[in-house]
Amino acid sequence: MDDAASSIAVAPLPTRKTLRARSSLPYQVMRFVAFNARMLRMVRKGHH
Amino acid sequence: MARVVILGAGISGHTAALHLKRRLKRGHEVIVVSPNANWNWIPSNIWVGVGRMTTDQVTFPLRPVYRRKGIDFRQALAVAIRPEGDGDRESGSVDIVYTDPTRLGEEERLTYDFLINATGPKLNFAATPGLGPDGNSLSVCTAKHAEQTSAAFDSIVDALKRGERKTLVIGVGHGTCTCEGAAFEYTFNIEHELCERGVRELADVVYLTNEYDLGDFGVGGMSFAQNGFVTSSKMWTESLFRERNVRAILRAHVERVEPGVIHYEQLDGTKGTLAFDFAMLLPPFRGADLKAYDRQGEDISDQLFAPNGFLRVDADYAAKPFEEWTAEDWPSTYQSVGYSNLFGIGIAFAPPHPISRPRSTPDGTVISPAPPRTGMPSGVMGRVVAHSIADRIERGETAPLHKASMASMGAACIASAGAGMRTGTAAAMTMYPIVPNFTRFPESGRSLKETTGEIGLGAHWTKLLLHYLFLYKAKARPGWFLIPE
Repeated sequence: MDDAASSIAVAPLPTRKTLRARSSLPYQVMRFVAFNARMLRMVRKGHH
Repeated sequence: MARVVILGAGISGHTAALHLKRRLKRGHEVIVVSPNANWNWIPSNIWVGVGRMTTDQVTFPLRPVYRRKGIDFRQALAVAIRPEGDGDRESGSVDIVYTDPTRLGEEERLTYDFLINATGPKLNFAATPGLGPDGNSLSVCTAKHAEQTSAAFDSIVDALKRGERKTLVIGVGHGTCTCEGAAFEYTFNIEHELCERGVRELADVVYLTNEYDLGDFGVGGMSFAQNGFVTSSKMWTESLFRERNVRAILRAHVERVEPGVIHYEQLDGTKGTLAFDFAMLLPPFRGADLKAYDRQGEDISDQLFAPNGFLRVDADYAAKPFEEWTAEDWPSTYQSVGYSNLFGIGIAFAPPHPISRPRSTPDGTVISPAPPRTGMPSGVMGRVVAHSIADRIERGETAPLHKASMASMGAACIASAGAGMRTGTAAAMTMYPIVPNFTRFPESGRSLKETTGEIGLGAHWTKLLLHYLFLYKAKARPGWFLIPE
């Protein structure tokens, strides 16, 4: 097994709870708002 | 009255043209020279490449937009810059050859008061024998390439449905490529589509990259603060590869692509081959084929451009070891060193050095990513240079230049990992600054508060939102300037 394969083989797998959260509509709506707010804050901070 | 000529109508050149026209009073001329008639939102080409979008959804004709905004558009290829003028003429000029079907092949010399080089990259497929749509692999670099790639992918899916096993390789086609993020996105969009079309089990999906570690993305990787730990983009990316059962070949330089076989070399000097049925490999970039001449007609291309063809600007190009690289090496005004009325933005400016640690094989083959210059910083460069030029036209040569160094600028990168309003997913990353600054942020070179990563459906929505927002902005619809770059 090469470096990449052995490294991937022991990488952490998301739990069922994490996978559910990644596709949960209410939670993802909140993440969508939070991420876009963070992006806007960064644009204001770093681009001017 | 001043004339500003902009070479290139990609994200940076087009942004500069719109801001200049908005800032300058009537009478001043803004001329855009681009060999392409259409504008392309390149980040969405990956969706064209899996059949989720059409070319028409990611492109639009530039001419009507420029006509409406009063910008002079020349569909032509710039071939030479004469920054000192020529013969008796003192003002700089640029030689262009029309690609416009109505004036095809016609040559013209355009004089300018200010020139912006935003020519973007030359897709250097020729660097690797057999690479590219004219050779033995596919590409998603242009909408047309992505359309061809989508058709090839459909054929693979048909074969998988017939029960045949297939190997799909996605990655970069040279040791010095950039845009690993786009290759990563396309890998996971392909994987997602295979699942959606019910043929994943018979497909072997392989990511072939020049990155030292997964998650490098040409920016030396990132560190995130999550759940009370500082974690790395390496671990985060490897987790996704494990979850989605995608193989990876790292630290690779593709030597040549033969029909159905990729020959590559890895950092330790070992050579390998990889058989494939479908290969989308991005090419390395170099600067556009532009020459430069002084007033006497002597070739000064070596002074104006770096060896890779990109325009030298206000960066520190002195060769130095990785340990001595600093944030201050990076340019902030994008003004040419020798000519104060010449600027290079977007992919057209020469970076002082990579961001990822440079590495090479025992035989000296360089295998490390070139620095990415994605849409967000390219747009910002377009805007700041437009304001610098507008200030100098209105207030004179002493007006201070606006600044936007990649070492003090943040960026958001939304890497799609599958399309679909309910089933889509993406990795949403923010980093601040793009170029690590170890003086300000000794721990990892970047702010742990502003450098983040998360995976989910919401990130896919963000990528889709940016697609529509930036097309709206590029079409210069009402209020376009309120949408930040």
